[in-house]
Amino acid sequence: MSVLEGAIIYSNLLVLLAIGLTMTYITTAVPNFAQGSFAVFGSYIAITLLRLLGVHPYLSIPVAFVLGGGLGVVIYTGVLRPLINRGAQIVILMIATLAVDLILLGLIGAYSDYLGMITKKSAKKFIFTPYDFPVLNLTGIFFVSILVIVLILFGLYLLLYKTKFGVAMRASMENPSLAEIMGVNVENTRLASWILSGALAAVAGVLLPFRQEIVPMTGGIIIVSIFASSIVGGLGSIFGALLGGYIVGISESFVTFQLSGIFGPGILVYSRVISLVVLVITLILAPKGLVSIKWRRIKWLKSFLS
Amino acid sequence: MAEEFLILNIVIWIGLYLIVALSLNIEFGFGGIPNFGRAFAVLMGAIAVGGIVNRILMLTLGVSGQIIDASGVVKTAMNDMIAQNPLIGISLLIGGLLLAAVIGAITGAAFILPSAKLSEDYLAITLLAISEVMFLVSYYHPDIVGGYYGVKVPNVLNFIPGEQRLFVFAAIIIFIAILVYLLVNRMLSSPYGRLLKAMRENEEVVKAYGKDIMKLRIKTVAVGSGIAALAGALYSMFSVNVIATNFSRVEWTFYPFLMVLLGGLGNTRGVVVGVSSFVIARIFLITYKFEIVEFLGLPFDPVWLEYILFGFVMLLILIYRPEGLIREKPILTDPIKKILKKRKSELGDSG
Repeated sequence: MSVLEGAIIYSNLLVLLAIGLTMTYITTAVPNFAQGSFAVFGSYIAITLLRLLGVHPYLSIPVAFVLGGGLGVVIYTGVLRPLINRGAQIVILMIATLAVDLILLGLIGAYSDYLGMITKKSAKKFIFTPYDFPVLNLTGIFFVSILVIVLILFGLYLLLYKTKFGVAMRASMENPSLAEIMGVNVENTRLASWILSGALAAVAGVLLPFRQEIVPMTGGIIIVSIFASSIVGGLGSIFGALLGGYIVGISESFVTFQLSGIFGPGILVYSRVISLVVLVITLILAPKGLVSIKWRRIKWLKSFLS
Repeated sequence: MAEEFLILNIVIWIGLYLIVALSLNIEFGFGGIPNFGRAFAVLMGAIAVGGIVNRILMLTLGVSGQIIDASGVVKTAMNDMIAQNPLIGISLLIGGLLLAAVIGAITGAAFILPSAKLSEDYLAITLLAISEVMFLVSYYHPDIVGGYYGVKVPNVLNFIPGEQRLFVFAAIIIFIAILVYLLVNRMLSSPYGRLLKAMRENEEVVKAYGKDIMKLRIKTVAVGSGIAALAGALYSMFSVNVIATNFSRVEWTFYPFLMVLLGGLGNTRGVVVGVSSFVIARIFLITYKFEIVEFLGLPFDPVWLEYILFGFVMLLILIYRPEGLIREKPILTDPIKKILKKRKSELGDSG
């Protein structure tokens, strides 16, 4: 796997996770700290189907999509809706998602022990690369991840722009109270955003083991990159998640690789530092993300254009 | 004998967690700053002891080489010296704590700097991200505190033989926790505490009264982090080593939040209640984990049970008792007391 190829695969997966995070942030106004564990949930669906039924991980994508959506429903209706109905502040909602993350970590960890016990093969750590196949001298995951992202973006476009429900959803994302006055059920759009978020994260989770090793703790490690992607693009915009996912994904793998040529391979473990630096620079220069910058207003660009 | 150690364990952890939870209560309970990176300050305290004090000792003793091996040499040499001269051990303990507080405060102030202007959700994300990345760096990079191998720390109480050391150390931890409690209590009943509560309730009002929110946030996180770093330093000196994995987000960010919310936001007495009940529950869970797993017939490692259980406890608190066990009370200053008294006597006259 070449560096650029790996970077693109990783970015595609980050985009899936960041879109989900951004969607739930727009509708429920809470950054979901459990998004990383949502992905690991998907990884464990794939490993279960592989170990117990011999299903190839690529074929478990639809199953993960459905079950991930189910997880979204459970988290929203079981945890967030009761809290929102009580008028809980954002901080309380954030702490609730941290608690959800811990519960998921515990459940996934317990399940990994159980799965390891019944299949007599440890499920605490796994990777799918041996199951991948080469296509045109490139890895299969390269094409699969691109295919998935194109299909999902196309599906999202159809849903958001071509259906009545999508119009309602976008309206309640932009202005919930106005949308409610116009008869949109904001409750439904919130639920829908959590279903989609869980589903996309689980799909990303199925594909992630093709690129890196998965352990129950993986969610807590990738969450920094997911947040960086969403914030760099702009937490308030789905297009921002797309942009941010590629910026963070490419800089994390590509820049680290370039730096390792100068400073030696020791620098490779610092890839998360790159996403943190990108995040901090964005927060200082453009706290609302890249999509919020009004490029035409920037003076030097103006003089350059005219 | 087993009960004695159980109680000892509880006392030590109540002391350590009390320090961290009190520091979090200043920032989050009073100031409303959602510091999701509390573990960072605790880690800094450990780095002050395992990384900086160790290096100073390496220089003074003339030990060279990698910190992982050198810390072992330093530890042996220092332990011999401390056994002969207790004063060295005590000054090492006090020096280590002071250094940890200073490093904690400086790094804490630097840590909030990029995010001091942000709204609370962005703030929480950034603090969590910085803390998480620092945790990973100190875990992967062996040159800071030995990475996953860890470093050794001299036994500052080497002049006390055998098991007695544990009891003395527990007393020291509790003593420092009480000092912190008194200090925090005093600080938060001053005008500064009321200013923090005002910031939590409405930043715009505080701004209108001419206070700089950014400075206030930096100052508060610096104070909080300095205090939290004490716990990291004490923990490292107690366990005579530093391993980065001991400073995870669950143990030093999530659990302190759980304790503060359990006890009740914004009141120091609540924190004591929250910490005590959490620690007792957790130590019993850890001590009898194999019995519990066997009794319930669970097919997995008991550590996962702990995560699931405390995650649910947090959700239950948030949903059913968001004010915690002890409800927050307004701070009664002398003028307010006077007004209340006057009103009471007026009511008494008319009634």
